[in-house]
Amino acid sequence: MKPRVCILRTDGTNCDRETLHAFAKAGGNCNLVHVNQLRNGGEKLADYQIMAIPGGFSYGDDIHSGKVLSVELASFLQDQLRQFIEDGKLIIGICNGFQVLVRTGLLPRGELGNIRATLMQNDSGKFECRWVNLRVENSNCVFTRGLEGTILQYQVAHGEGKFYTNEQTLQEIEGAGQVVFRYADARGNPTQDYPANPNGSLHAIAGICDQTGRVLGLMPHPERFVETHHHPNWRRIVFSEPHGMALFRNAVDYALNK
Amino acid sequence: MAVQEVRVINLPHITDARGKNLLQEIKDTLHITTINHIVTAKVYRFEGISAADADFLARNLLAEEVFQQYKVNEPIIENADKLVEVAYKPGVMNPEAGSILKAAADLGVRGLVAADSSYEYGFFGSVTDADMQLILSRLLVNETVERVVHEKPSSLVIQGRPGRTAVIPIRSMNEAELMELSRDNLFLNLKEMKAIQRYFMALNRDPTDCEIETLAQTWSEHCVHKTFKATLIVGDATKKPLFKRLQEATAAAGHPLVLSAFEDNSGVIDFYEGMALCGKVETHNSPSAIEPYGGAMTGSGGVFRDIMGTGKGARVIASTDMFCFAPPELPASDVPRGCLHPQYLLRRVVAGVRDYGNRMGIPTNNGSVHFHRDFRAKPTIIVGAYGIMPARDAQKGRPQNGDIAVVMGGRTGRDGIHGATFSSGEMTDRTIDVNASAVQIGHAIEEKRMSDALLRARDQNLIRAITDCGAGGFASAFGEMGQQTGVKIHLDRAPLKYSGLAPWEIWLSESQERMALAVAPENLASLLQICHEHNVEATVIGQFTDTGKLEVYYREDMVCELDMEFLHHGLPARTMTARKEPQPVEHKEPDPPRDWEQACTLVMQHLNVCSKEPIVRMYDHGVQGSSALPPFGGVQGDAPNDAVVVAPILGKKYGAVIAHGMNPVLNKLDPYAGSIWAATEAVSNAVAVGANPDELVLIDNFIWPYPDEESLYDLDRAVDACVDFVRATGMPFISGKDSLSSTYRGQDGAVIKIPPVLCVSCFGRIDDVTATVSADFKCIDSTVVLVGRRDIDQMGGSTYYDIYNAVSPRVPVIDMRLLPKTLKTIYRACRNGNIKACHDISEGGLLATLAEMCFGGDTGAQITIPETQRPDYFLFNETAGCFLVEMDNSTDPAQVFGDVPYLVLGRTTNEKRITVCRGPNKLFTVSTHKLFNAWQKPMQEVFGA
Repeated sequence: MKPRVCILRTDGTNCDRETLHAFAKAGGNCNLVHVNQLRNGGEKLADYQIMAIPGGFSYGDDIHSGKVLSVELASFLQDQLRQFIEDGKLIIGICNGFQVLVRTGLLPRGELGNIRATLMQNDSGKFECRWVNLRVENSNCVFTRGLEGTILQYQVAHGEGKFYTNEQTLQEIEGAGQVVFRYADARGNPTQDYPANPNGSLHAIAGICDQTGRVLGLMPHPERFVETHHHPNWRRIVFSEPHGMALFRNAVDYALNK
Repeated sequence: MAVQEVRVINLPHITDARGKNLLQEIKDTLHITTINHIVTAKVYRFEGISAADADFLARNLLAEEVFQQYKVNEPIIENADKLVEVAYKPGVMNPEAGSILKAAADLGVRGLVAADSSYEYGFFGSVTDADMQLILSRLLVNETVERVVHEKPSSLVIQGRPGRTAVIPIRSMNEAELMELSRDNLFLNLKEMKAIQRYFMALNRDPTDCEIETLAQTWSEHCVHKTFKATLIVGDATKKPLFKRLQEATAAAGHPLVLSAFEDNSGVIDFYEGMALCGKVETHNSPSAIEPYGGAMTGSGGVFRDIMGTGKGARVIASTDMFCFAPPELPASDVPRGCLHPQYLLRRVVAGVRDYGNRMGIPTNNGSVHFHRDFRAKPTIIVGAYGIMPARDAQKGRPQNGDIAVVMGGRTGRDGIHGATFSSGEMTDRTIDVNASAVQIGHAIEEKRMSDALLRARDQNLIRAITDCGAGGFASAFGEMGQQTGVKIHLDRAPLKYSGLAPWEIWLSESQERMALAVAPENLASLLQICHEHNVEATVIGQFTDTGKLEVYYREDMVCELDMEFLHHGLPARTMTARKEPQPVEHKEPDPPRDWEQACTLVMQHLNVCSKEPIVRMYDHGVQGSSALPPFGGVQGDAPNDAVVVAPILGKKYGAVIAHGMNPVLNKLDPYAGSIWAATEAVSNAVAVGANPDELVLIDNFIWPYPDEESLYDLDRAVDACVDFVRATGMPFISGKDSLSSTYRGQDGAVIKIPPVLCVSCFGRIDDVTATVSADFKCIDSTVVLVGRRDIDQMGGSTYYDIYNAVSPRVPVIDMRLLPKTLKTIYRACRNGNIKACHDISEGGLLATLAEMCFGGDTGAQITIPETQRPDYFLFNETAGCFLVEMDNSTDPAQVFGDVPYLVLGRTTNEKRITVCRGPNKLFTVSTHKLFNAWQKPMQEVFGA
């Protein structure tokens, strides 16, 4: 049985189709589910093993990026979300989805309603669309199993991606090994230098997971590199596999073997 | 009801990016250096809730304590030397308001009737009143849509009593009175006004305002393209209308891929596996000239809706943008009265395209920016969109008697009234005042969710016919849809943004993000259900009939009853005269440069050659996961490709290629040769990446000065060029648009004709994206070959002539007999893997092409040029349809190119410099690093590194 993947969408979600394609390619049985369907009971999270919150501009990113969807999830779906996580299932938030997970409080600590970090406007003050190097850190994140220590190339495309939190939370995240991805320079070292670090994130953080390793949020877009031709330089670099695939396959395999 | 205010700022130790950027902009563009820092606050206002509720919203929605703090009903920026708040004007829809209302309801806050948001700026340091005025007028406030808030508003609710329908006593008007009625609002000529007068005389009644306005917009140049449909008298010859010539050329080409040409909102061709591709390119010059951000947004939104409303509905897969501005460094005193500064225009237009496309999730991945001083009175803003749909849904639907007329998407407000007629008029220094209502702020999310819902409805076969509400609003959309049948519309049923609209305003409003549908009665419930699930408002506002009439009611009152026949065919046909005006012929050749490095550097940093990467980086060009060839690539990701390729069916190798060509300078010098150049450049860009020339189609956009006899002569030549191009290559035009209002008339009598622009866009299909080629050099010691025949001595309109103030009316002539063969040969060589990198020659000539290929490969090159030709002309000539290619040094070019003219120039090198030899002698060496920096500099200065 293929694991069922809920690709959550709402007004302004715009990376849903390619996220679905990535999970389907990795072996998932995917459905695009509108948040209204979860609110009116037409769909239930309990019927899925993986939930993905894709990129986009949910509700126009009005007030703060991802904020209005976060409020909606925390107001109407908190019980379903809690149960989903308690059941050991997987959640991934990409770009706008990461912003949503942080603003619901699910990241970094799995505390719905308690916002401990934020994704702020890029230091450059601009929306940036470019390819970046990411160093995969040692963590207990199930999405990156076997990738630790490698350098991946993904595209970022965001205006509000600067990871920021207070010193205490930062130390906690670092101490608990919850940092999954860091922006890296050409040699693979974490960097604060623009544009390798496209937004000025603290500690070059590009993605984090919760303590369980089953909830992941990241600003770069792994679903934009699941075909070789997605990479701008596939004509000059040989890739054994597009860098996004392992992430989705890890998730599907985990759900399958659970 | 009281208005509650919440103000939010970042904590003191957190970067205020908005304030920081504004300060930088003030320093860079206004050269004011006495401000130390700027603090920005977001201001939210609420009506209908208590201060306690406002505090609740501040804590749970508006401010995040991780990095922000807030105050309720109190100032938050303290001790600023100057404090100003900038908000949208009442009636300009703030796209954020709807989200605030939704989130407040989700949080359980009741009673909120209206919300608004704005920004407050605290300036610290010395700011004179004059400085402040400059900052406001140049950077912060566009008075068309924004205002400075001086006191707390007493209410956020806009109210008004609906105006009444007026009757216009047209039957009794003399000629002067008819023209007075036309001026500023209707933009019709006397013959047309008299045709309307005769129609109502025959009916024995006077028209309503609604009827007059309906006729004016249906007959506007913008909607009906009178000039393109006019019979032309050129010299002694009578020529068929321009549009007819283009249509006939397309029909004669008989291209097998074409599914729909010049019939629908966009042109459609066959793709693969039962799918079809469509393309549409639009201009949005007039609105963008007075409010560049809102204008560019509504331009994007409009062209996306053209795709959404093609056939039974398509999904937008790519967006393009082509702009022309005056140079950003133009002195403010050179900007004509009533016009905005080009740097402001450029930044704001880019921001508008960015915000609409990014939010809709459309990759904006092909485009260009051109600069010429003569665009100072009005920019040229061209936006394109491409879509995909099942081929079975590619034909335009026809409403049937009894079908329900549905409007879906955004609500109707007083936005854009007179947009269609305004676009058709010349720009004057009164334009900003008179036509301020013609612009609004686009709401991309509204359009995105509407698109999501529409595609569902299409897939369930619920749509009989669909079109977008663009220029002319309901009047245009339903008037056109009901053309063959008749339609009855009830305006009082249309959902409004606020009360107080007169019936004719509802009817003509150009509020964005609306689509008009014809739906069979049995499908209505399912359609409304899908819309509801997507948070999209859909409303029944009428029914299609069999009366052949356009009947419009407001409650019980009939406000419009026009025969479709008169509306659509009553416009008097025009015969127009075109006349060649003798041009002073100037000819001044430059001496060959003594300092070659300087010449190369100046060419590379010329505004029409320099890198536009900072713009592209702000557009999400990777969304939809379809990229197969991005706008920029190469080792560092900063070298341009000629075209873009997307693979829109995820998981399949089928590609859609998109490119364009235009050159206003050449068009100005020689409309015929310039137009051939534009079309050649467009298809060369596509073929350079490996597209098959047999599978490409074209879109025309003529952006021309007001068609006086001289401009019309040029236009006639340009259309002849297009027709000749179709005949020579077999590539048909399948969609197009003309905008003939590029003339500025100042009160002092000054007339500025903006340079004529023919933008040719090109799109097509590629059966395997892995057989496409990028422009970056791949290897060291490869062979560099020039392919194609250049008209080497014709340098008129070139970048090189421009930098040395040389002039010539003689622009490069493209060998149209050779071109198809060159294109086919390049395609085959790409396909067979004989070409490692390919880049076509355009602005900046061979040298710029070579340099960009070196940038991409992080290489240098050593080339040898013939002794028989002027070296500067050889390096900087801009004949289109010629290519530089990289080949493995073991490949024999003669085997690949056969009898197509080619010349082996040299090889790629590891040393990062370009060395040019002339025969046995070294002419010069220049560092690629130096060229690269020069090439990047101009746009970095405008947009930041």
